[in-house]
Amino acid sequence: MKKNDPMQSHRRCPMLQKMVTIMKLTTVLLFLTLFQVSAKSYSQETRLNLKFDKETLENVFSKIEANSEFSIFYKNDLIKNSREVSGEFKDVLVSNILDQVLKSENLSYTIKDKLIMIVPTEYIAIENTTQQQGKKISGKVTDTSGAALPGVSVVIQGTTAGVITDNDGKYSISNVSENAILRFSFVGMKMQEVAVKGNSNIEVILQEETIGIDEVVAIGYGTKRKRDITSAVSVVNIGDIPEMPISNASRLLQGQAPGVVVRQRTGTPGEQMNVTIRGVGSLGAGSDPLYVIDGFAVGNSIGQNLNPSDIQSITILKDAASTAIYGARGSNGVVLITTKNAKEGELSITATANFGIQNLPTSRRVKMMNGVEFATFLQESWIDKQRYFNKKEPTIDEIPLGIRYPEQTQYSTNWLDEILQQNSGFQDYNVTIASGKGKLKSLVSAGYLNQEGAVKYTGFQRFNVRANVTGDFNDYISVGLNTVGSFTSERYAGTNSRDGIIGKALYADPRSPVYNADGTLNAYVGGKDGVFGAANPLMELQQHKRIKEVTNLTTNAFIQITFLKDFKFKSSFNASIDSWRRNEFRPSTLAGGGFNSPPPQNATLAEYYDQFINIAADQLLSYNKTIGSHKIEGQLGYSAQQSRSRNITGTGNKFPNNDIQFLQQAETKAPTSSESAWSMLAYFARLNYDYKNKYLLSATYRREGSSRFGKNNLWGDFPSVSAGWRLTEESFMKGISWVNDLKLRGSFGVTGNNSIGEYNNAATLAAAGYLYNDTFSPGVVLNSFVNNNIGWEQSNQVDIGLDLSAFDSKLTFTAEYYKKITNDMLLSVSVPVITGFTSTLTNVGKVQNTGFEFAVGYKTKITNDLSFNSNFNISFNRNKVLEIDGKNKELWTGSFYGVQNRSVIGRPIGMITGFKVIGILQTDAEVASSPKQDGAIPGVYKYFDGDGDGKISYDTKDMVEIGNPYPAFNWGLTLGADYKRFDINLLFMGAQNYDIMRDIEKTVMNMDGVFNILQSGVNRFRSAEQPGDGRGATSNTWKWERESNSRYVYDASHMWIKTLTIGYNLPANSKILKSSRFYFNVDNLLLVTNYPGTNPEINTSGDNRQPGRDDEAYPIPRTFSVGAIIKF
Amino acid sequence: MKYIIKIACIAFGLTLMSCGDSFLDKVNPTQLTAGTYYQNQAQVQSAVNGIYSQLQDLTSIQWINTEYISDNTSLHFNVGDRGQGPSLEAIEYFQINSGTSNITNWYNQLYRGLTNINIVLSKLEGATMDNALKLDFEGQCKFMRAYYYFQLVQCFGDVIIVKEPIGTPAEAYNFKRSPVADVYTLIESDLKTAITSLPDRASIAVNQKGRISKGAALALLGKVYLTKKQYAEAVTTLKQISGYSLMPKYADVFDPQQKNNVESVFEVQYQANTDIGEWSGFIYNFYPRESYGAVIKFTNANGGGWNIPTRDIIAAYEAGDLRKAVSLAEGYNNNSGVWTPIPFITKFYHAHTVVNRPGDNWPILRYADVLLMLAEASNEATGPADGYAYVNPIRVRAGLAPLAGLDKASFRTAVLKERRIELAFENHRWYDLKRTMSPTELATFLNAHGAFEKSNPTTNRGGIPFSAGDYVFEAYEALFPIPASEILVNKDLTQNPGYK
Repeated sequence: MKKNDPMQSHRRCPMLQKMVTIMKLTTVLLFLTLFQVSAKSYSQETRLNLKFDKETLENVFSKIEANSEFSIFYKNDLIKNSREVSGEFKDVLVSNILDQVLKSENLSYTIKDKLIMIVPTEYIAIENTTQQQGKKISGKVTDTSGAALPGVSVVIQGTTAGVITDNDGKYSISNVSENAILRFSFVGMKMQEVAVKGNSNIEVILQEETIGIDEVVAIGYGTKRKRDITSAVSVVNIGDIPEMPISNASRLLQGQAPGVVVRQRTGTPGEQMNVTIRGVGSLGAGSDPLYVIDGFAVGNSIGQNLNPSDIQSITILKDAASTAIYGARGSNGVVLITTKNAKEGELSITATANFGIQNLPTSRRVKMMNGVEFATFLQESWIDKQRYFNKKEPTIDEIPLGIRYPEQTQYSTNWLDEILQQNSGFQDYNVTIASGKGKLKSLVSAGYLNQEGAVKYTGFQRFNVRANVTGDFNDYISVGLNTVGSFTSERYAGTNSRDGIIGKALYADPRSPVYNADGTLNAYVGGKDGVFGAANPLMELQQHKRIKEVTNLTTNAFIQITFLKDFKFKSSFNASIDSWRRNEFRPSTLAGGGFNSPPPQNATLAEYYDQFINIAADQLLSYNKTIGSHKIEGQLGYSAQQSRSRNITGTGNKFPNNDIQFLQQAETKAPTSSESAWSMLAYFARLNYDYKNKYLLSATYRREGSSRFGKNNLWGDFPSVSAGWRLTEESFMKGISWVNDLKLRGSFGVTGNNSIGEYNNAATLAAAGYLYNDTFSPGVVLNSFVNNNIGWEQSNQVDIGLDLSAFDSKLTFTAEYYKKITNDMLLSVSVPVITGFTSTLTNVGKVQNTGFEFAVGYKTKITNDLSFNSNFNISFNRNKVLEIDGKNKELWTGSFYGVQNRSVIGRPIGMITGFKVIGILQTDAEVASSPKQDGAIPGVYKYFDGDGDGKISYDTKDMVEIGNPYPAFNWGLTLGADYKRFDINLLFMGAQNYDIMRDIEKTVMNMDGVFNILQSGVNRFRSAEQPGDGRGATSNTWKWERESNSRYVYDASHMWIKTLTIGYNLPANSKILKSSRFYFNVDNLLLVTNYPGTNPEINTSGDNRQPGRDDEAYPIPRTFSVGAIIKF
Repeated sequence: MKYIIKIACIAFGLTLMSCGDSFLDKVNPTQLTAGTYYQNQAQVQSAVNGIYSQLQDLTSIQWINTEYISDNTSLHFNVGDRGQGPSLEAIEYFQINSGTSNITNWYNQLYRGLTNINIVLSKLEGATMDNALKLDFEGQCKFMRAYYYFQLVQCFGDVIIVKEPIGTPAEAYNFKRSPVADVYTLIESDLKTAITSLPDRASIAVNQKGRISKGAALALLGKVYLTKKQYAEAVTTLKQISGYSLMPKYADVFDPQQKNNVESVFEVQYQANTDIGEWSGFIYNFYPRESYGAVIKFTNANGGGWNIPTRDIIAAYEAGDLRKAVSLAEGYNNNSGVWTPIPFITKFYHAHTVVNRPGDNWPILRYADVLLMLAEASNEATGPADGYAYVNPIRVRAGLAPLAGLDKASFRTAVLKERRIELAFENHRWYDLKRTMSPTELATFLNAHGAFEKSNPTTNRGGIPFSAGDYVFEAYEALFPIPASEILVNKDLTQNPGYK
């Protein structure tokens, strides 16, 4: 066994801490009970030449390690007060040296092969002297998964007497008095004390100690001890996240890390959430982070195929110093996901099951008018028109028959309730078989998930299998192979936006029945009394079949060769193949998808087949060397990646019947096919330097070329540097005992963004044919205005942070400040149309994000049975546009009747812009005396005269900023407690002080009477005498009511009690069953907000420049689930 | 150390085989790359075809800004869906401002067309082909360029002149509007080149039928002179047009079975019933909303109802005018057999077998127009004496009595009216009004029309009243505003007076 970082890391810790290689250490400790049988080995053959001159024991140990293959382990406080030693050794065994240097200390040692353990002398002594007094206690120690823990030290409290558990986790200790307390401790586990109280058999389960500062975390192209990290990196500790009924892995990030905002924009089953790291940095290119799974940079999405239960750990790289190694894809942050491997020595089968039911709570459902209310509205709005325009009071007989007797309305349908599923099911099963015995470790897992939707006839299913093998092939070569296959199947509906099924259900005529008298579905809803006719939303869900199936096969393989002692070369290869199939058939029996087109319609079919092939190869050469107090790590790397997608689409229209749903049946059909590809190449280097663990320095450099850029700007350079200072290593800090670790760090780096899509670097020609003599002749026209100089978007980011661990590491605290400036944004900017085009992708503009992030963790043991832990994080990000372009001072996106967003220098990107409503015009006199709004009558919104010219023009000139879509801060809080075998965990999260325009209300507060109206519409303006609640406009006109205006802007501050989990661990009760755990979970438990929509995290636009829009989307259900984890 | 290098090389070499910039060279396989195109006759021909194709795009929206805005057509008011309010309604009701999207679309489409024209013109020199061919292509392109600038200058007044392709965004910001006179200088120069380069219609091969000929260039130049009130030049130019005559029957002029007939000087080509993207969609915009197949015999086929004849033009037809029944219908029987008095244009409605795939060509210049221009120009130049010979064949074909014994002013009025009826819904009316009236006269005229429409709306408004500003035309509106989006990106652009 070659000594390596995690091993060395153990030497200087103030107390025994968790290491990643717990099991390796187990082996070390194990031999303490077995050393008498150790055969002749390295230690008895290797002779050393060393010289010490007044050196600390720490340095002595370092020198031994540096000049041999030994690794030495000890508790830091054992040698804290040791004397300096001198001496010269020539051609001697290591035991001779140790005997010499330890003789004046009260220390002894044990050696097995290349591993040396320094222990107190009396510890060894007691082990060897057996005095038959008092009681003999025996038992077994296991971890929470039920696996036996060998090497656990069992000590009688207040003495140094103790033993170590054997290979099966068993121990036997003699000479224990009746009222003694046994202390069980093990590296990486929480220490436990148990009173003997007359028992002779004591079984103990040790809990894992989480987030130790010695934890090793994944960073780009490698790993690093958390405490040595000098850049902004957040670790999501999967062990700290309770079991939840989740279908997409992105959910694991929610509320976990400061600066990482994870928004669930819709409740669509299986959908990936929207992840933004440290604010939106680009106006034009994407803002999604890069996802790297097991070293494979899969892209800006993790998709739906990754099984969350396969994940071992997640690291989020936030600042440029940590992401610059990913160059052009690093500027939006990087999410590193590591999947599970078998632990050394482990042999287990784990089965998990989770069942749940999902519902949309009544309190989160939008309230629309019922049948009678809507009929009454139609009648009143007719009467109001007569009163206002014709100045007369109509008699009952003059009212059109259809709306004359609203109280006699026959049906009252709540369409939203009709399309929502009561108690839709959630099921998730996984089986994992892990074998960590022998040189090659393997793990095989299989999973099945089935999530029915909260909306009827929607749902998501996934099958996964994963197999991996890793290990040492021999002393020089280690290998790994990880293959995962998955299949997902989704039944979806167009659910988002006003024209989606949720919107349609809201505004469908409530006076129409769901079913006809004969029990069949009513095919045409509304279509009378001026109300638009439309398809029955329930029927549309049932009959408009839309299916997406994705098959994914991903393979990672690597081989690592160790050579010349300090060098390693790792070559890895990754490939992913995705096949997508989508099929959408709309039968002729459905009314049209738009308005006023009753059935029958022409049946339509669309079939899409997509294939994505993504291949990457990385070569990594690393060098590791410790010379005295200097530790140097270097890396050189080379990476190549290529991705290609191909698509074939066929659409057909008008089918002879609805039963045979294949294209050849269609009367008209159109096939299309396409292909696109990108590639990148990169060279990179990293240098880490560490002096006495006190001063840490890290620098990276990457040069990357991307096929997405013009010839003149093919290559980009991305350097970074970071430094850390561990104050706790300084002598002036030695006296401050409550501080365990304190580190100050700072970083600077440059990252890029190339998410601009393919082929934007060359002008292409589009087909545009013409006819001569009535015969087609092919032709071409220019397709885009291309900027040949299009180049890299670059972000410069500075980060300053502080990491503190205190009070026996019960408290951890991290604070960071960052400032990120994105230059030369890849922005689609407006250009004069004399170019032939109205926009082109250009490198213009500058956006700044600055912010503070804080994370606090606290865990403590209150009594032997009760412990408590919590994590809180909060982040403040401020976004500001610094520059758009010399000629483009502002960027407008959106539409006059939708939501206008405006990006303007000095303000954040895409502020919600529109008319500012300052009231409702009450009377003709008020209309006349107010700034002129052409066409305004009493009851319409009175707008603020933005440009002060005395009139409100029917365009954007009077529009002003009416909402800020960015929260002042986002926060997450986890509270957990363990009591005996029970545990409870609560996740809270929220965002404060930001706005959303509830765009859907322009449809569901549409007073034309063509759609159903929000229940609150009963309080609309009817006349100066009946002014209503000041929120609803008159039904007498349409103008000045639904333009982008502040009436529809709401504060979306909110707090979620996102998850509650209560778990119970059964004691390990047999040789077969290692452990079993049962839990109950409520997901999306409680939402506290004044926002009137169902989801304050919604954004129905996918564009960075159009934040804060709510045009209605798939609602987020509450899920109650129970689950079990059983390990054999 | 050598050992290390060796190992590194072997390992790196595995991927370096595909290495270098060539690995990063990714070209869109689904589309042609512009940079290497326009090399030979076939490529230039396809680019010229593309220019013709863009004329289809232009024509598909021309009615909004040239017919709809005039007294010829109005809209079938849609009570339930006012989503078109700020664009289509704004034009019909003279509520135009610099953000009116249909005006912006019009402006943009014109410059889009010019871009492809300028590219082909700039590439002709370097292309490998016969010189005579180059000249012919140049003539076609310059006719097109003149036509586009003629639309621009009439609608917007001073406009940016761009004659060369623009390479980088930075260049595009340096242009300013040129005076009207300079625009006309370019138009005339282009058309004169076209006249000398283009073949007569007679010498155009059958498989090129429908392309631009010398006659078209002469007709357009005549129209330019007429617009500039250079009447003598107009007469001289228009008289050079030969080889054309009126079709015997008015209905035949628009019959898709008789495309590019002897009366056709230049028309935009379309084809019915195919999926190759060459159909003409006019009638689906024009015919009544919610007719559910009662007008166009496809189940549930609905129109836009956006461009419907006004009561005013219906009344303008003289008794016995054979053109009325060809051009419009005053209503239709709905699916229940009930008469629905929503008028609609029938001129561009001919039977087709696939829904949404009509194939009516769109006339841009036809011989009747040439004759009427000659009548107008000669009257202005020398009095009505010569004009009767031009206008009367058109009246006779329409079944009306020939004109006789008019003074110059009456003849002028009679010809303008004749143009309105003969060329109804063919996108001439707006330009005719602007040509023959000063902005103040135009305002008076259109306000009178507006007042009439307000008191007698062509279609029912469902109880929704007009806004006070509807149908109020101010003299400055004779020119459209330069789109706000253009001024936003180029602060050097001035706005037309009257618009903010």
